[in-house]
Amino acid sequence: MTATTLEALCARVRDAAATNTALRIRGGGTKDFYGGALEGEVLATTDHAGIVDYEPTELVLTARAGTPLATIESEMRAHGQMLAFEPPHFGAAATLGGAVATGLAGPRRPYAGAVRDLVLGVSIVDGTGEALSFGGRVMKNVAGFDVSRLMVGALGTLGVITEVSLKCLPLPKHEVTVAFALSADEAIRRVNEWGGQPLPLSATAYHDGQLRVRLSGAQPAVDAAVRKLGGDADPAADAFWTAVREHTHPFFAAVGERVLWRLTVRPTAPFTDLGGEQFIEWGGGLRWMVDSDRVDAGKLRTWVAAQGGHATRFRGGTCSGDVFHPLPAVLARLHARLATVFDPRGILNRGRFVPLR
Amino acid sequence: MSVETGQASRGSANEVARVVETLARDFGERAKTGDAVRTQHARGEGLPDPALPDVVVYPHDNDEVAGIVRLCHAARVPVIAFGVGTSLEGHVAALHGGVCVDLSEMNRVLEINADDLDCRVQAGVTREQLNAELKGTGLFFPIDPGANATLGGMASTRASGTNAVRYGTMRENVLGLTVVTADGRIVHTGGRARKSSAGYDLTRLFVGAEGTLGVITEIQLRLYGVPEAISAAVCQFPDLKAAVGAVIVAMQMGIPLARIELLDALQMEACIRYSKLDGYEAKPTLLFEFHGSEAGVKEQAEAMERIAADHAGSAFQWATQAEDRSRLWKARHNAYYAALALSPGRQAFSTDACVPISRLADCLLETRAELDREGAIATIVGHVGDGNFHVLLLFDPASKAERAKAEAIAQSVSLRAIGMGGTCTGEHGVGIHKLGALVAEHGEAVDLMRAIKRALDPLDIMNPGKTVPR
Repeated sequence: MTATTLEALCARVRDAAATNTALRIRGGGTKDFYGGALEGEVLATTDHAGIVDYEPTELVLTARAGTPLATIESEMRAHGQMLAFEPPHFGAAATLGGAVATGLAGPRRPYAGAVRDLVLGVSIVDGTGEALSFGGRVMKNVAGFDVSRLMVGALGTLGVITEVSLKCLPLPKHEVTVAFALSADEAIRRVNEWGGQPLPLSATAYHDGQLRVRLSGAQPAVDAAVRKLGGDADPAADAFWTAVREHTHPFFAAVGERVLWRLTVRPTAPFTDLGGEQFIEWGGGLRWMVDSDRVDAGKLRTWVAAQGGHATRFRGGTCSGDVFHPLPAVLARLHARLATVFDPRGILNRGRFVPLR
Repeated sequence: MSVETGQASRGSANEVARVVETLARDFGERAKTGDAVRTQHARGEGLPDPALPDVVVYPHDNDEVAGIVRLCHAARVPVIAFGVGTSLEGHVAALHGGVCVDLSEMNRVLEINADDLDCRVQAGVTREQLNAELKGTGLFFPIDPGANATLGGMASTRASGTNAVRYGTMRENVLGLTVVTADGRIVHTGGRARKSSAGYDLTRLFVGAEGTLGVITEIQLRLYGVPEAISAAVCQFPDLKAAVGAVIVAMQMGIPLARIELLDALQMEACIRYSKLDGYEAKPTLLFEFHGSEAGVKEQAEAMERIAADHAGSAFQWATQAEDRSRLWKARHNAYYAALALSPGRQAFSTDACVPISRLADCLLETRAELDREGAIATIVGHVGDGNFHVLLLFDPASKAERAKAEAIAQSVSLRAIGMGGTCTGEHGVGIHKLGALVAEHGEAVDLMRAIKRALDPLDIMNPGKTVPR
C-alpha cells in the first residue's frame, strides 16, 4: 500500500518533469497561506501517511509525510513524549510533511530546539522523481553533507518530503506559567537576563503589558525557579500557550485582513524602535507585528536586518515577490544552484519560496 | 599536475608555482614553503597519511582569504583550510597539493553580546581561548570535543564531544557564518536571530562540509550561562549491558545530564594506571556531570543514582570540588594516551560509530567480542547518551599487517553500526578514511551530495578528495 503511494509520488513527479508541469505539493493545506503564490497541479501527500516506526525507548519516531500532526502528537503523548518544537497546526488536517517543509515552530522552540534540531533524517522525492534518503535515526550523524536539515523550511522546493525521523523528548513532569505586568522593553530585558541563568524556561510571551513565562522540568527545579522569579501563577496557561501557537489568541484573531509580519531578530532588539501592535515570543527573538499605515516594508526590513534577522510577510496581503526577506545577490545565486541540483526543471512549488529563478 | 579523467582539470605545475610566487609577494613572511611547515600541515591526528601542500599561507581577515581563494580559483589550484590540525580522518591532508590556508592568525573574538547570549569569532579562535575570553561574563561555550580545536575547524567538522546530550553539537550552536565560496566571494549566512535564515539553511550545509564547499572564516555562536551548580559522579557496573541500560532509562526520563561517558573495563584499567585514579575497579564505568541550579542538580543526581542502583551500579563516588572534577574529566580526555600506554610503541586511531540507543548494548557487545576474537588491543569509550562510541585501536606502525587488521576491524565496526540503523561517523566526520563507508551508508543519496559539491565548487578546488567520494 505505502510502497505504492511512494511509487505513485515518484511516477507523478517523473511525468511532471518530463512535461515541465509545475506541481504544488499539498498535505493538509493548512499552511497554503504561507509563502509565495501557489502554482501548478496539486500533488497530494495525504495518502502517504502512517507512523512507520516509533520506539519510545529510542526517543525517535519515523512517520510518512502525510501523517496528521495530531496523530503523531497523541501517539507520543500516550508514551509520555512530545514534539518539542511545538509545531503550529493552523487546522486539524496539518501534516508532518508540512510542518517540516515550512519549518515553523511554536513557543518552546528557543528552549527545546527548532524543527531542524529535532529532525534526524528525511526521505524525499527529488524533482526528477527519484526517491532519496538522508540522515537517519541516530542522534548524531556527520556522514556527508547535512541534506536533511536543508529540507527544513525549504517549502518543498528541494523535493517532496515523503518521510521524516524525529527526535522525541519526554513531556515535562511539571509545568508552571507565571505572569508579570511590565513594559515591553523591561520584559525583553528580564527574559534575556533570565535566559542566561540556570532556569528551566520553556516559553515566553509578551503582549499588551503582560509578560508570561513558562517553566518546565522536575518539580523541585520548577518550584525553585518560581520562588526566584515571583509573578502570579496563571491557571489557564495550557489554553494560553495553545492559542499562541495556533494563532487563535485575540492578538492574532484581530489581525483580520491586515498583514501579519513575522520578525526574527536578536533577542534584545529594542521594542521602542518599532512600537505598534506587537506580540513578542522566544525571549524577544520572535516579534509578530500587525501592519498599519506606520509600517513601511522597506524600512522594516532595514531595521530587522540591522538586528541580525529578517522579516517575513506571514499572512495577508498579496502573494507577490516580497513575502520573504530579499537575499543578497551572491546568496541568491547559491540558492539557485542548489535548487537546480534537487529540481533541475524547477517544477516543485514554483514561486512559493525565495525568487529562485 | 595531470588532468584526471572525468574531473575538472587542475592547474599545471607552472600555475601552482605562479600562485606560490604571487602569495609570497603579497603575504611575505606569511606565505611559507619550507619543508618543516608544510610537513606540519600535511596531516591531522588519527591515521598518519600525510600529503604536503605546496605553500602554507596565514591570512588575517576575510578579504585576504577571499583574495587567496580567487587566486586559486583562477589557477584551478586546491585550497585546504587548516585550524590547528586536530581533525581525525585525514581532513587536512593536501591530497593534490595546493594552498593550505592556516587560519590560526585569524584568532580574534570579534563580539561578545552577553545580553543576547551570542558571540562572533574568527575561525582561528580556539575553544579554550573563547572560554578564557568569556570569563567574567557569566557565560560559556559548551561544545568540548576534547582537543583544543579552533571553532572554524569545529564548525567545519560539525564537532560535538562530551557535552552534546545537554547542549547539542556545533550544528545546533552555530547561528551564522561568514564563508568564502569556491569562486572567492564572501557570503554571510544566518545571523544573530535564533531563526536565522531567510532562504535555505545554508549555515547547516556549510557546517560539517569539511571545507569542501567553502572556507569558514567567521562564526556566530550561541552562548550559555555558566551553571550555578555543577557536580560529577562516577558509577561502576558489572557489565556493559547494565551500564547502557541505566543510560537508556535516564534519557527516557529526560534527566538533563550534561555529560554521560562510558569507559569499558580495559579503558578503565588504562585510565586508573595512566591518570592514577584511586579507589576504582577495572569495570565498565559511567562518568556523569550535572549542570543547573542547586535544586535542579540535586534532583537530577538523586534520580540518576536511583536508576544506576536499579541496574546493579555501585554507589556514586562524587566529585563536587572543581579540582576533583577537572581531574576526572582530564582522565577521560586522556583516555587516548592511557590506551596508548597499554602497549608502548604502538599508535592508535579511533572508530566513531553511532547507533540508535536501543542497539547500543548489542553493538558494543558484538564489537567487544570481535576485538577479543581478533586479538586486537583496543579499548572502548562512548558518549553513550547519543549512542556514539569510539573503539581505540592500537597498531604497530612498523607492521603493515597489524595496521591492515586494525583498519579491517574499524570498517567492520562502521558496517555493523550502519546495519543497525546507525552511522559510520557520529562526530569525527568523513575526511578521506570514511569515504567507502559513506557509500555503504547513503547509497544513491551520495550522487546528490556529489551534485551539491559540483554546483558549489565546479572546479573541485575546495579541499578536494574529501567528504564525498568522486
